[in-house]
Amino acid sequence: MTAAKKSHPLVAVAEPNLLEETFLHDLPPLIRFDGPIVESIDGAMVQFDPASVQQRDIFITDTTFRDGQQARPPYTTEQMVHIYDLMARLGGPKGVVRQTEFFLYTRNDREALDRCRALGHEFPECTGWIRAEKGDFRLVKEARLSETGMLTSCSDYHIFHKLKMDRKQAMEKYCAVVDAALAAGVRPRCHLEDVTRADIDGFVLPFVERLLEMSEQVPEPLKAKVRLCDTMGFGISYPGVSLPRSIPKLIYKLNRELGMPSSRLEWHGHNDFHKVLINGATAWLYGCDALNATLFGYGERTGNPPLEGAVFEYIALKGDLCGIDTTVITELAEYMRSIGFPIPDNYPFVGKHFNTTRAGIHAGGLRQDERIYNIFDTAKLLGRPPRVAITDKSGTDGVVVWVNEYLGLTDEQRVNKMKIHKLARWVLDQYEKAGRLTAISDEEMEAKTRELLPELWTKYKSGQGKE
Amino acid sequence: MATVSERVKTVTARVLAMDPGQIKPEQNFAADLGAESIQSVELVAMFEEEFGIEMDEDAALSVQTVGGAVEFITRVCKEQGVDVEE
Repeated sequence: MTAAKKSHPLVAVAEPNLLEETFLHDLPPLIRFDGPIVESIDGAMVQFDPASVQQRDIFITDTTFRDGQQARPPYTTEQMVHIYDLMARLGGPKGVVRQTEFFLYTRNDREALDRCRALGHEFPECTGWIRAEKGDFRLVKEARLSETGMLTSCSDYHIFHKLKMDRKQAMEKYCAVVDAALAAGVRPRCHLEDVTRADIDGFVLPFVERLLEMSEQVPEPLKAKVRLCDTMGFGISYPGVSLPRSIPKLIYKLNRELGMPSSRLEWHGHNDFHKVLINGATAWLYGCDALNATLFGYGERTGNPPLEGAVFEYIALKGDLCGIDTTVITELAEYMRSIGFPIPDNYPFVGKHFNTTRAGIHAGGLRQDERIYNIFDTAKLLGRPPRVAITDKSGTDGVVVWVNEYLGLTDEQRVNKMKIHKLARWVLDQYEKAGRLTAISDEEMEAKTRELLPELWTKYKSGQGKE
Repeated sequence: MATVSERVKTVTARVLAMDPGQIKPEQNFAADLGAESIQSVELVAMFEEEFGIEMDEDAALSVQTVGGAVEFITRVCKEQGVDVEE
């Protein structure tokens, strides 16, 4: 480290600077940029303008029923229809959740697709997913879909070791199915499987170049799209990383070197290295308009970008809800739990304890100003006010927050520490005298509140005193 | 009627389980008498009950010594119209 050369005198202020231009609280914290990102590509310094996402039509695509379903027992048709209906409400009328893809292989797949379409939602648009097999393409035509994804593996791991082909054979096979799609009036979306482990110059760019050429002859709604599939989660967001792992360079090559428009580029990631959401957001910033996601990140192995995380990233980048109804995220989580889908308690935005604090000192902060320890207005955006869990670390601050929150007390109704000291003493004795090692449940706290604070309980929990 | 000082010492002794004779005005509740966080809250709650007053939580919990508590409670009693023996 070198010695500091710039002096930074303390700025004494009379009023706190809460940086509310970024931390609005009634929206997730905004993501603001100071200037361009610079990346060294093929010896040249290339600039990207991340702030352009505010003007660009970036959006989310969903694969809950395809990749998401590959990682779990199949959904029933009723479940898929209900989830689809909720996703439509979540994404809103502007189609922030723009598309969702369906398997087409079984009668159940088709029934689910037909029933979702019968709901009449404009968004998310239903699309298909098939292997790059001419035989599979029949399924797309039968389903009367206007777009289908198709598996076009592009690493030599897949081409040579899985498909048992060489690159030329693979490209010809893929292009034949793309041709069939275009001829049938169906937009092909080529899923460049394992692209972060592929020979970019030797296969990926020639293939995408060919797709662009084939698309020259067809109207805009049919032009081939490209999904960049980070199948093993090898993609890296940092500037300076080499291909094929560099997300900035991958997108640059396709978008600005070959000319594949942003509107036809999509990122599909996996979470094998805990990078899945940030990689997806990085793809947005560098020129992919579409970010492919699944509800609660559930997908093959470690999963995909979580759709609800992408929604909050979208709002933070746009600085606006853009018609999104974030409260549906809580409804979706409750529904998923009800059909046996486990969500860890500490899972962001929807886990049982995502905004629950256990430390008394944090609870003290919450009492003074919710913004101190709540990421945003979770009551408004998710229908989930911040909570405290009662343990030996809760202190009287934690207990008083629990009582006020549980009894629904606001403003002048809120009680102070002195009013709940008997309950706080009982909590402490549970650990200090009874040797308890587990958290105290709401049910136990409720029973003790009735017993030790009967006046409060009668006044507020029975409905009296409520305004 | 006992004085505010005597009543404060009696309540303090009961909450902290000690002999009232050992409690002196200059003693600090936490450092000298060993009051833990919850006991500080219990002390304030018991003072409110003993004197029939309501105290501001932050102000009451910021009082550190026995003598300080006597002064604080005497002032609150006067403000709230509660007669006490000084």
